[in-house]
Amino acid sequence: MSTRLAPKHQRLVLLAIALVVLIAAALIAAWGLRSQASYFYVPSDLIAKPPAPGQAIRLGGMVQKGSLKTDADGVTIHFMVGDGKAHVPVSYSGIVPDLFTEGSGVVAEGRLAPGGTFVADNLLAKHDENYVPRELKDMTEAQKQAAVQETTK
Amino acid sequence: MKETLDQWHFVTAVYVLGVAGTLALVAWSWLSMKRAEKRRDEARKK
Amino acid sequence: MHGFANPARFLRIARALTAPLLAAGLVLAAAALVYGLFYAPAERLQGDTVRILFIHVPAAWLGMAGWSGIAVASFVEIVWRHPLAGIAARACAGPGAFFAALCLVSGSLWGRPAWGTWWVWDGRLTSMLVLLFLYFGYMALAGATSREGGSGRIVAIFGLVGAINIPIIHYSVIWWNSLHQPPSLGMGGSAMAGPFLGGLLVSTLGFTLIFGGVVLARMRALLAEIQAEARLRRKAFEG
Repeated sequence: MSTRLAPKHQRLVLLAIALVVLIAAALIAAWGLRSQASYFYVPSDLIAKPPAPGQAIRLGGMVQKGSLKTDADGVTIHFMVGDGKAHVPVSYSGIVPDLFTEGSGVVAEGRLAPGGTFVADNLLAKHDENYVPRELKDMTEAQKQAAVQETTK
Repeated sequence: MKETLDQWHFVTAVYVLGVAGTLALVAWSWLSMKRAEKRRDEARKK
Repeated sequence: MHGFANPARFLRIARALTAPLLAAGLVLAAAALVYGLFYAPAERLQGDTVRILFIHVPAAWLGMAGWSGIAVASFVEIVWRHPLAGIAARACAGPGAFFAALCLVSGSLWGRPAWGTWWVWDGRLTSMLVLLFLYFGYMALAGATSREGGSGRIVAIFGLVGAINIPIIHYSVIWWNSLHQPPSLGMGGSAMAGPFLGGLLVSTLGFTLIFGGVVLARMRALLAEIQAEARLRRKAFEG
């Protein structure tokens, strides 16, 4: 061979090629899984591609402010789940997680009823990435923003 | 209807497990290191 | 280049660093946890469960950092046949597995009050569980090759291939809808208020120093075992 590589360089090149192939394979797999690996659908997914009636799915999004209503029986609740583009009405009877509240995230497990209402069997509270001390809760939205801005600089 | 769990039970459980586990990890790694080094030094003396 | 290949030189540095790293790490972590338990404010929505963060986040970071260490050391071992690299990779496995397990357990104990469930099979939780199983596989493989005298190469290749899971864990919350929240800390800034961020950084630094001290102690133990065995074998050969 005219271009003789030192053994350690040969190993380096072989290993680099193997790593590139491996990373490419993993990226392709992740891309292929992009819908299957998602834990829930958002309301716009449900509007764009409605699931078969009765099919068990998960719906995730924000509990829209002012939409939460409790029936006279005290255990059935109705609320709107939105993702900023679309929203779906949800009904649920049972015990809700302590941290389930309006304006916060939720993942509902259940199925779409014929009327377009999502009937949930189970609710999970979902948190966003924001961490705000409780004392800031009573401030107005603008004050809160300012306080968070200040503390994260 | 809310669940009304006591959050402090969960917080305490995590802190107890985290602190005990970390101390056990440090003690195990330190003691096994001392034992191995002692064994090597004895092997060299022989 | 191969300055650290000399065990005597490595041992001199490791002996000087092991105890100080462990001591400094324990002091910092203890301070951060006392702060987390008694002084940090409750979070607006999560309430007191936010205190679990001060253990969960360092554990998650070190569980992933441990495998990153295995991968880098395995790379060095394969390419340069550096004698200490294989020992460094094996030394990362135990503490890495411990912190991955602590991350899963503390996360589960956070998820029950915060989400309303102990466990979900979303992208982040599943890929983190895969990491723990990769650690178990790595430790079993490394143990088997050292007992039965097989090639260390296969262990290094396993360490390198398993590293593909690390970016998957990190990006799982960005690529896929998951119940787990996306990262609060990034290059651009933080979505975390100061009282949480400061305590979290001290806690992470403390646990990282502990991790460094434990890895050095493991390396010294593994090195001493090899040296003792070599010595005894030579004795037996001579005698």
